[in-house]
Amino acid sequence: MNKFATIVGKFFNIPPEDVRDELTPQDIPDWDSMNYLLFIAEVEKEYDISLTMDEVMQAKTLGDVRKCLTSRGITP
Amino acid sequence: MPDKPRHYAMTLRDFSFDDITVGQTASFSRTITEADVASFVALSGDKNPLHTDPVYAARTEFERPVVHGMLLGALCSALVGVHLPGKRALYLGQTLNFKKPVYPGDTLMVEGTVTQKSTATHLVHIAIEMHRGSEKVFDGVASVQIRPL
Repeated sequence: MNKFATIVGKFFNIPPEDVRDELTPQDIPDWDSMNYLLFIAEVEKEYDISLTMDEVMQAKTLGDVRKCLTSRGITP
Repeated sequence: MPDKPRHYAMTLRDFSFDDITVGQTASFSRTITEADVASFVALSGDKNPLHTDPVYAARTEFERPVVHGMLLGALCSALVGVHLPGKRALYLGQTLNFKKPVYPGDTLMVEGTVTQKSTATHLVHIAIEMHRGSEKVFDGVASVQIRPL
């Protein structure tokens, strides 16, 4: 199980094996604004990175968040 | 007019997100009284005899009424909302681990340490511990967003 899917599963309460890049808040009932902030903070901690506020606010899908990692040379 | 409760005397801090650094700490001391427990019973409705009935509590392994664990949770709220970061705090979450029983009359040192700071979300994580003397009775982690104003 990859780390990114595990974090997504933990914060959004979905099975990690169901995690896909195209998922949006409309697809995940527990993806609310508060949970999203906690999720981002966990991603930053686990990958030891700092995201920008623009990146966080502009991300519309899980794939967008994943791209924030790959743009830093991280394979999520 | 009755005196204000003693916690009103606490100075309200007002740290902005930029003011906060990882490793920053804040603390306060509080003696838990029987009146605090009675107030918590009235507020929460939790009148479990382990907290309220000395005869019942005497028959348990605790031997006397113990303070509600969630009353210690309320002290976390005071730490976050008044001391660290204070005024701009928006409490998003909290873990709670009750390590040892606490009794009315115990004096606790409540201390928080910033362990993580997220610039993108203005979220901080604060590790909170409570000690009775050298004995740790509580630990947990608060997730707090620091609002602009």
